[in-house]
Amino acid sequence: MQWEAFAGEALHGSLHNIWMMAGIIIPVMLVLEIGRDLHILDRITVFVAPALRFFGLSRQATFPLVVGLIFGIAYGAGVIIEAARSGQISWRDLLLVNLFLSACHAIVEDTALFIALGADPWIILGGRFLLAVVLTYLVSRMGRLAVRTSQAGAKSSGTGSPG
Amino acid sequence: MLSAETFKRGLHKGLFTLWEMTKIVIPVYLAVTFFKYTPVLDWIIKACAPLMHLFGLSGEAAVPLVLGNVLNLYAAIGAITSLHLSSREITILAIMLLISHNLLVESAVSGRTGVNALAMGGFRLGLSFLCGALLNLLL
Repeated sequence: MQWEAFAGEALHGSLHNIWMMAGIIIPVMLVLEIGRDLHILDRITVFVAPALRFFGLSRQATFPLVVGLIFGIAYGAGVIIEAARSGQISWRDLLLVNLFLSACHAIVEDTALFIALGADPWIILGGRFLLAVVLTYLVSRMGRLAVRTSQAGAKSSGTGSPG
Repeated sequence: MLSAETFKRGLHKGLFTLWEMTKIVIPVYLAVTFFKYTPVLDWIIKACAPLMHLFGLSGEAAVPLVLGNVLNLYAAIGAITSLHLSSREITILAIMLLISHNLLVESAVSGRTGVNALAMGGFRLGLSFLCGALLNLLL
């Protein structure tokens, strides 16, 4: 065991890691907060709602999808749970939103971190988005799903919300 | 409307998240770096090499892959920075990890929205393996 080499690499690497994360995370959080105060989320929602008709998704599903896409599953799900509890959103919409988000979510923070590590931006961003669109489209065309509609109310007995 | 409050909140959230990340990234980074100096990492690498080969990854990539799926992306990042992976490997690993990570927590959250939590977790893991293998063929 070469303790000296380990200590050197550990110290240098730790400082480098913190420096790299600070350079990503602080600007990302600033941009997200600026976007929030400029109500960019509402504008994006209005903008993408027509596109989501492609999947046969209702307007009520748009907001949770956009929130999850930008901020991540935990936030997106918080919004979905709220929508499900109030009975506004169908079981089919819930499944499609979850499916889309499973392939593509938290596109700002997580993507920025992996680009900083050296991953190809086009592949990790475009690839995931394309995958999510194809997956969601295929499932949305499945016959059984096209018929099976509003059952969301039945699942709405939960208490509290996840962080 | 934008105000000084916006920037204060952004900076505060940025520093808070940075601290939350540091608490995970640094210990994982230190642990993986430590094991690099012992034979332990070599054992793990040899054991995982055949499966990782399927994704065009070296055996050591199993460490961030497992940490990312069981814990979270920050743990995976800590491990990645300690290892020496090519940019091709990092891209493949990134796609796999971005699709499936933090499965224990996020599946439970998805479960709360009304879909089957176990199915969602399994689906994401399967999708990540599929995309890893696919990218290995395409890149």
